[in-house]
Amino acid sequence: MAAREGWGRLKVFLGAAPGVGKTYEMLTVARRRALGGADIVIGLVETHGRAETAAQVAGLEVLPRARLDYRGQALEEFDLDGALARRPAILVLDELPHSNAPGSRHPKRWQDVEELRAAGIEVWTAMNVQHLESLSDAVARITGVRVAETVPDHVLAGADSVELIDIPPAELLERMRQGKVYRADQAERALRGFFREGNLAALREMALRRTADRVDADVTGYMRANAIAGPWPAGDRVMVLVGGEPSAEVAVRQARRIADALRAPLVALHVERPAAADGDPGPALRLAETLGAETETVVDTDLPRAILVAARARNVTNLVIGRGRPPLWRRLTGRTLSATLLRQASDFTLHLMPSPTAAARQQAGPERRSFPRWVGWASVPALVLAATGIGYALDSRVTEGSLGMVYLVASVAASVAFGPAHGVSAAVLSFLCWNFLFIEPRYTLTIDGPQEIVGAVVFGLVALLLAGTAGRLGRTVRSAQARVFGLRRLVEFSRRLGAPMDRAALLALIADEAGRIAGCPCCVLMPLSGEEVPGLALPRGRRPDDTDLIIRAASPTSAEPDDASMAAARWAYTKGRPTGWGTDTLPAVSWCFQPLPTAQGVAGLVGIRFADRSEPLDPERERTLDALLDQAAIALERAELMEERARGAVRAEAEALRITLLTSLGHDLRTPLTGIRGSLETLRTMGDMLSPEARADLILTAEEETARLARFASNILDMVRLESGRVPLRREPMDLPSAIDDAVERVEHATGRLVERRIDPRLPSPSLDPVLFDQILTNLLDNALKFSGAAGQVAVAARRDGANILISVEDDGPGIPRGDLMRIFDPFFRASRTDRITAGSGLGLAIARGLARAMGGQITAESPIRAGRGTRIIVRFPA
Amino acid sequence: MSSPLADLSPPRILVVDDEPQIHRFLTPALAASGYEPIQAENASAGLRLAATHAPAAILLDLGLPDLDGQQVIPRLRAFTAAPIIVLSARDEECAKVTALDAGADDFVEKPFALAELLARLRAALRRAAAHGQEAPTPLVRVGPLEMDLAARKATIGGTLLKLTPREWDLLAALARAGAGRVVTQRQLLSAVWGPGHAESSQYLRVYVGHLRQKLGDAASLIRTEPGVGYRLGPAE
Repeated sequence: MAAREGWGRLKVFLGAAPGVGKTYEMLTVARRRALGGADIVIGLVETHGRAETAAQVAGLEVLPRARLDYRGQALEEFDLDGALARRPAILVLDELPHSNAPGSRHPKRWQDVEELRAAGIEVWTAMNVQHLESLSDAVARITGVRVAETVPDHVLAGADSVELIDIPPAELLERMRQGKVYRADQAERALRGFFREGNLAALREMALRRTADRVDADVTGYMRANAIAGPWPAGDRVMVLVGGEPSAEVAVRQARRIADALRAPLVALHVERPAAADGDPGPALRLAETLGAETETVVDTDLPRAILVAARARNVTNLVIGRGRPPLWRRLTGRTLSATLLRQASDFTLHLMPSPTAAARQQAGPERRSFPRWVGWASVPALVLAATGIGYALDSRVTEGSLGMVYLVASVAASVAFGPAHGVSAAVLSFLCWNFLFIEPRYTLTIDGPQEIVGAVVFGLVALLLAGTAGRLGRTVRSAQARVFGLRRLVEFSRRLGAPMDRAALLALIADEAGRIAGCPCCVLMPLSGEEVPGLALPRGRRPDDTDLIIRAASPTSAEPDDASMAAARWAYTKGRPTGWGTDTLPAVSWCFQPLPTAQGVAGLVGIRFADRSEPLDPERERTLDALLDQAAIALERAELMEERARGAVRAEAEALRITLLTSLGHDLRTPLTGIRGSLETLRTMGDMLSPEARADLILTAEEETARLARFASNILDMVRLESGRVPLRREPMDLPSAIDDAVERVEHATGRLVERRIDPRLPSPSLDPVLFDQILTNLLDNALKFSGAAGQVAVAARRDGANILISVEDDGPGIPRGDLMRIFDPFFRASRTDRITAGSGLGLAIARGLARAMGGQITAESPIRAGRGTRIIVRFPA
Repeated sequence: MSSPLADLSPPRILVVDDEPQIHRFLTPALAASGYEPIQAENASAGLRLAATHAPAAILLDLGLPDLDGQQVIPRLRAFTAAPIIVLSARDEECAKVTALDAGADDFVEKPFALAELLARLRAALRRAAAHGQEAPTPLVRVGPLEMDLAARKATIGGTLLKLTPREWDLLAALARAGAGRVVTQRQLLSAVWGPGHAESSQYLRVYVGHLRQKLGDAASLIRTEPGVGYRLGPAE
């Protein structure tokens, strides 16, 4: 069989019965391989006290067993996590059909094996043929013992190699008598029961047949792979009809065997009849899926027609149906399903499966209603009694025929509300009462005269017909109502999904809606992704290493899975499979987690606290929930793609900013360097040809440019220091007017321009760092002078404003476009297109903001301030 | 440093740059080297002065306040054949290539060495003078390499070079541009392989490799301008 990519191999030692020596053989081979240097570890081996087997374990590495605490009882179990951590090349794990102790991750050992294989570990295991799912009925028939622990057929089919351990039954019996298999007392019992020679021969034949089938399949696979024309029949297809009756599972197993024999695909069909009280087909459908069948559900009132339509649509050649237990009248009239199909399905091979034994049969699931059964039966006499009451009230005024109509109403009401059985009972009871109380002669059940007889017969017929029809109608209505509820919810959900919303709102909606449909607490879990941490963008599709799931939405908000459930959630997330309550994995926890699969992997999980429900979800709601989750996954994917696009836009903008920054930085470093280098080189190479004035100017150029470079360097250092948050503060009460005067005068002196001062002399003395304050003001003044142009007017103002001191610097330059106003304090930002006019580092305002903030101040900008021109930068300090 | 033209006045050099400190040292340096420098602070002044003063060569900064330097070059080329040397930044390969493709003759990187700028200027003026002559000689001599463009023959130190037609075309394209003049990859590819192959720079690397192998000791005559193109000539 085709191995799955990256999966470890599976080798199965298959035996016909216990004691044939599977474990012994497996250990012998393991020993040999271990001596050859293979990394082989024994996960778990039961020696059943057999000395020969125990001897083979010696010398092999054995994994310690895990200890589980179950209701105060210490249980030993195979340590799955230990095995995964140890990661041997080959793991030997006996007893494939074993059921794990409660509290283990998987209920079944074969699921452990799947996980080990998924992790790339080769697994060797052993099992007896009677544990194979599809054989369990046959085994039960032959041996009279029903095997509880079964292994789905696909597990054995998926094995890379199957080794049949075969000894003749006589030899096995001899071994048993020698006490090599069981202890003497057990052996005696076993020899009389299960280990009869006939049983053993049958089981042996099954094992041999299975292995032969496998060889056959291998050969077929080989021939197909190598395009060898072969004798396999083309186009055979088997369909099994699955109803709610218990015999459905038998039919499914049988169909699997037929399909295997024909090497044909298997389809399991369930016809849902809205008006019929069918049982729950869920178990049989699930069984069909485990057996590798495709399942399909169609809705139709006419069972044979639905079967034939579905079968023809799928080119089915073989139909498998259970014989079922049709009512007598149907059998007598030839209207049983099998008879109808025999007549109509002339183009199919029809297989009729035997009826299940009476003991195995159980009552089909009762129709689900909102009130208990006794209410219905109590209502029947109540309704008839009410009709009688009305009858007495009307007795003298109307004919007895009209009174019959009153009873008719009671019968119809009973059948509509409770079903046909109730309706018929009410009809019978009504007829008796009517006859006894109102039809002449009264107080007898005899009927006089032809008129009364006709009336009575018509009443009986009408009541029965109406009861049946109305009952069916009632069921159809209820079923349709459930469907309409589901559809309405889905439509509502998709309508709300259509509205644009962010991811948080979407998740809340999903949790809400899932909770409403399931009728129990729900939550949405998502991984804690690095994408939400700024600056730590994970590549798309990469999952965080540890599956840190966090609750993103819950309905009600207090719904929160416990720790054990969270373990199930992590499992569901990493494996992308439903996990928890009601599933195959970790079914002991109270939550069920459904993955939301998207093209980029599992986007998240929807957790539902099913354990709160007293009864399982009805199929209608289950389907609605599934559809909802599908829609949710799509919506989530769409939301993620949109967010990804938005993030992409942000990244592009950041990239553009980075390029601007680099260009500015390059320009600001290169220009002074060019000046310095050119001036010095001119002086060196041609200084003697120059006039003394020209030489002096060159030296001055070099000096000025050096100063500019130094200023730039110190600006960058300031910026780095501010960004690292390391600004030492030396606060002292400041005389603001004189500090402002100092700064303004120095700037005026350096630039040769005048700055207007509007300073309130009664300013308080705030506690600030004078050096930093001076730096802020100088930067703002420099900036204003630069942007206002050579002839521009610059003014500085200071005043008290409530609890703050406001210091503003304004210019009458061209102003700043509204869109840029927020960004002028960003490092290296320059008002657009002016970067060449004003040589500056673009750091002045960024530094001013950083310093102001370091002292607990705020800085803002306004532009334009008058006549569409000018910029005002305002610094606020607490007074 | 006299011009080969009959005009005996010093060659006029137009410097277009918005940074005053560049003018402050270039003006005395150019004057001391025997040129007549004229200054322009922006593109419009530069275009006006180029039109009215007929400079022998133009030094052009690409980052101008009023007009992108890239747009200035075609406007200059509309009326003057004077060599244009672009003053560019080191990390602006794209800008260099665009400028060269638009018609600039050469580039120097800021912060540049004055000596290098003057050498490039001299070479550019020389080439311009050579192109100005009536009949361009079919003979090109660059160091030990001699090429007869008419006879499609190249010798090195008197030995005949065996070149494939493509190799010859490539070497000739470099030679025709003039010794020391940078030719962009795009220009070379269009000239040798045709305009359809203007982006196939891998051809160029392969053929330049072959040529250098055949040139032997004189391999360094083909100089690579990383990210821009190639120029033919001995190291300056």
